[in-house]
Amino acid sequence: MIRSDAALISASRTDAGAFRELYDRYAERVLGYHRRRSGDEDAAHELTAETFAQAWLVRARFRDECDGTAGPWLFGIARNVLLHSVRRHALEQSARERLGMQIEPPPAVPEETWLDGLDEALDALPDTQREAIRLRIEDDLEYDEVAATLGTTPAAARVRVHRGLTALRTRLTKETR
Amino acid sequence: MTDRLEAIGNDLERATGRSLRAHQRRRRRILTGAVSVALLVPGAAVAGSLLTTDDVERSMPAGTKFLVGTTPECETVKEGVEYHCTIHGDFTPEVADLKGTVEPSVDATSHVNGGCRSLRSDGREWRCYIGQEAVRQKIIGPDFLGEYSSGPGVG
Repeated sequence: MIRSDAALISASRTDAGAFRELYDRYAERVLGYHRRRSGDEDAAHELTAETFAQAWLVRARFRDECDGTAGPWLFGIARNVLLHSVRRHALEQSARERLGMQIEPPPAVPEETWLDGLDEALDALPDTQREAIRLRIEDDLEYDEVAATLGTTPAAARVRVHRGLTALRTRLTKETR
Repeated sequence: MTDRLEAIGNDLERATGRSLRAHQRRRRRILTGAVSVALLVPGAAVAGSLLTTDDVERSMPAGTKFLVGTTPECETVKEGVEYHCTIHGDFTPEVADLKGTVEPSVDATSHVNGGCRSLRSDGREWRCYIGQEAVRQKIIGPDFLGEYSSGPGVG
């Protein structure tokens, strides 16, 4: 029986093999995401390794908001890794250092152009869904706080987040194929 | 999957395996320590007697890279559990809106001891929670509490 991403992340609290399964499931797509933005094969691999190392360190924060898939969560981490790297003008490597993973010599200096189209998928969503996702996923607010900010009910806020994430998942799946 | 991605996956699996084993060893030590303290000190006195506002003030920049260099001032909301902290002086976060952002806090022995939530967009006012309360507030996960931290996190 195939386990959902959420089940793998839950199992990874005590089983490194479960996280490896998640890696095998997403590594090529995350690599593709970084490759398209950096245009650099070496940098894309380094950023992919860092994305999964960070995902491991924050896996306890994962919440199943999208019917068991971890795609939006992983690509959110990939986005942050890319963003930090460009801001620091150096490839992010803190999570790999913390885990004692191998780090290759810096292959490239991140450039501002790597951020071109970074939020295209998010920007394509309706305003209400985009803002709900930002508040819930990026700001990590509870649904009642999201609802208060948006002037709606917690149930409506939950629906907006769910619909937005579903749309994002569909778009990201197409983009990374 | 390419050989290179496969190699990264192998490296990741080895590293995460080490991380889990180290975490399990720490948990055993912490549990042993907690049992010892519980036997020696009356429950209500434990948290308050072991933690000061100075400790919380030091825990914030120790856990979060963009707070390094700041000197938060904290007031007790609930002894040993909840603190209200403000940051004065020079502080310009690279993120435009920090309201609702959550960050871990790290104690003097470099272990995650709780977490804080920004109450304002400019990141100058935080509510910090220690121990299990930070988990209950969903600032950190249960597995993250007590984890070793090699340095302040980036986000």
